[in-house]
Amino acid sequence: MTSIIAADGTTIRISGTGPPSDLLAVARESDVRAVAVGSTGVPALEPLVTVTNGGETAVHTDCSTAELDTVVASVSGGSDIRAAEPDAVVEHDPGTATLPPVDLPGLDVGRRRVLGAAGWRRPTDAADHEAAGGFDAPETTAVLDAGADLRGRGWGDLCQDEPLAPTWETTRDADGDPTVVVNAHGNPTDALLLASAPFDVLEGATAAAEAVGADGVIVYASTADERAVETVRAAAANYPDPPVAIDVVTGPAEHRAAEPTMALEAIEGNHRLEARIRPPGPESVGLHGQPTLVHTPRTLANLAVALREGEADTRTVTVEGDVAAPATVELAASDTLSTAVDAVDVDGEFKAACVGGRFGGLTADLDVAVGPAALSAADLGTEGVVQVLADDRCVLEFVGQRTQFAADENCGRCVPCREGTTQLAELLRDIYDGTYAPADIRELVRVMDGSSICAFGVEAGRPARTAVAEFEAELQAHADGDCPTDSCPQPAEVT
Amino acid sequence: MSSEHAHEDAPPLTEEIAPGTAADPAVGGTERATVTVDGTPVTVEAGATLLDAVEAVDTDEYVPALCSYDRQEIGPRSECRTCMVETEAEGIVPACSHPAEDGMSVSTDAEAAAQARDVNLDLVLSNHNLRCTTCGKNGRCELQDASIEQEVEEPRYGVLDERDEYEPLDDTSSFIQIDRNKCILCNRCVEACNDVQVEGVLRMEGSGQDTRIGFQSDAETMEDSTCVSCGHCATVCPTGSLVEKGIEDATTIPIPGFTQKNSVGKAIESSGETKGPMTPKKRDTDRREDPDAAASTPNAPSADDVATDGWAGFEGGEWP
Repeated sequence: MTSIIAADGTTIRISGTGPPSDLLAVARESDVRAVAVGSTGVPALEPLVTVTNGGETAVHTDCSTAELDTVVASVSGGSDIRAAEPDAVVEHDPGTATLPPVDLPGLDVGRRRVLGAAGWRRPTDAADHEAAGGFDAPETTAVLDAGADLRGRGWGDLCQDEPLAPTWETTRDADGDPTVVVNAHGNPTDALLLASAPFDVLEGATAAAEAVGADGVIVYASTADERAVETVRAAAANYPDPPVAIDVVTGPAEHRAAEPTMALEAIEGNHRLEARIRPPGPESVGLHGQPTLVHTPRTLANLAVALREGEADTRTVTVEGDVAAPATVELAASDTLSTAVDAVDVDGEFKAACVGGRFGGLTADLDVAVGPAALSAADLGTEGVVQVLADDRCVLEFVGQRTQFAADENCGRCVPCREGTTQLAELLRDIYDGTYAPADIRELVRVMDGSSICAFGVEAGRPARTAVAEFEAELQAHADGDCPTDSCPQPAEVT
Repeated sequence: MSSEHAHEDAPPLTEEIAPGTAADPAVGGTERATVTVDGTPVTVEAGATLLDAVEAVDTDEYVPALCSYDRQEIGPRSECRTCMVETEAEGIVPACSHPAEDGMSVSTDAEAAAQARDVNLDLVLSNHNLRCTTCGKNGRCELQDASIEQEVEEPRYGVLDERDEYEPLDDTSSFIQIDRNKCILCNRCVEACNDVQVEGVLRMEGSGQDTRIGFQSDAETMEDSTCVSCGHCATVCPTGSLVEKGIEDATTIPIPGFTQKNSVGKAIESSGETKGPMTPKKRDTDRREDPDAAASTPNAPSADDVATDGWAGFEGGEWP
């Protein structure tokens, strides 16, 4: 196949989270080149149809087959791409290999690097990726240099918030045959990258494999992320002369299955998932006892882009919750959370956000940079998911649900997590009965954080801890018999 | 310690064993090491953990290390986390499963470590039927010993005292009685059954508060399981959870009607059918996961839900 990057004539791209078969059929009735690309990460605008001619692209959001019919008729009739009343038009370098910034909510913030292919290049087409500078096998020294600066993204990464290079060194020096596991389980950006930009992920994985002398890459994802799994399978099959073998496996959709050692258990086929003790960690004794790297697609796509384009540190953030539609955006590490939240429509008045995934930290202050140092300093999580709470959300109900989720979904192995989450939920329930004991909550969360086997237990208490720190008055009000948002059952009704 | 990787020269039988536990790495130090514990230098052999060093000296503070067994290749499971100690280099770590490396310095009386041991022991007690006076292990119970030594007077999270939350006693076997209300999930019985006796009867199953010791054959009771009544599980059990029949009331208060069985209130009794000698376990399920079973995982959010609603796939637990 030939690349659509910088191709002559007009190119229509159809972008969305689902298969675009209807739209594609309409577009292909004409003689205009029409292709399906992955989601941009902003589903509110999708199906998104872009019409590119040279250095100009017209954008049609939420495009119906009827609208596309008009667009196709207009373009194949020789009209200017602006003639069909697009929602936006953007001018760009005619050879651009990444979706240019468009003046539409969600597509107008930050700079798309690891998300560059999403919505612009055909996900499983090797020619498109090659035209973007891909498949140019880097020197091992260049990979090691990049790994010294790059930090792991997400709780599914063995190097969460830490530089990759020291872990790579351990793996390279360990006895055995190393493997690289791409842990795409459970994070929306990771699923997006597999579905929209899988070659960037695989290229990062093969580069890491070469750097540690691994002879295989295993992509691991949740069975729930069907499109991601299908797409990365197809991309792996289309990878030209892969330097190492690439396999794709799935694991159960449970939240805990994303934890790196439980991911290894799932890949090995254990019927029951629990965390492994460490040290030694998977970097020395991992999959089937062999040294194993576990990195998320975000980490590996960052590595691939850093190797192609040189150093540039961005963070992806998915905003969900009380919003009209979730969106994933890519920001500089110095940009703030409010930049991310501004990319979506909040349902109602913004009250707070849970920053950092299911066990993120609660805050009402969005003036915090999205880089890991600033987030950690604010006791917020670095998972890259922000859950918006509108003003009718009760903080106690929210942290109670998150804590009960932790009590229900933990693997059951270690006491601080298994029993600690249960007792923490009880301490929160006691508030309805008039007993608010912040010191007890802090003590328990500190022990869970300090003595749990894996990140599940370490992070499970963060919603409660940050609620105590940031929303004390609201918790105290419940103990006094009043829910400020009037959304809780009357305290007297709860036994 | 899993049976999967621990013995590479093990007979093929072990490939069939599915204990439900993680394939932990070997955790000991790689070479002979000198470790300082509360200021006292201790030299331990290769393969030792920090707990070996801690146990070699008279420490400043008590380190219960409740779930540790460390004999016959059983453990460390490192589940109870009542062995937390502070290290200079790495903060608080579980002594029972942390390799002893030369030059490490360990302190037992550091505030964070002492608090973790204390809270974690109380957390163990929070889910334990503390009816010691009707327990056959009264006076020879490792949890009781640890609680006395730790000077627990009133566990901060209470104890498992709601009778309607009790699991029925499994009194179906003629040889071993199971009281899961006293189980601390140390996994010693599972390892004794699988890694030492190589019988493949017991397994760890479930998750969260539903984590329990069950049977690899999916049997519901000890009687229906493939147990050969070797008794190793009862030997290693630290509490009154697995006891030999005939002595299940050995140490209860000698008052008529004051028994282990009626203290729990519910029991599954033997069917009375005679049972032939147990052959090596017959299994219906394999350790390998059925891909269809994985797909029907109850918590799986569908892709549609996640795309359309910012809360779908992010649901919390049932509340309040």
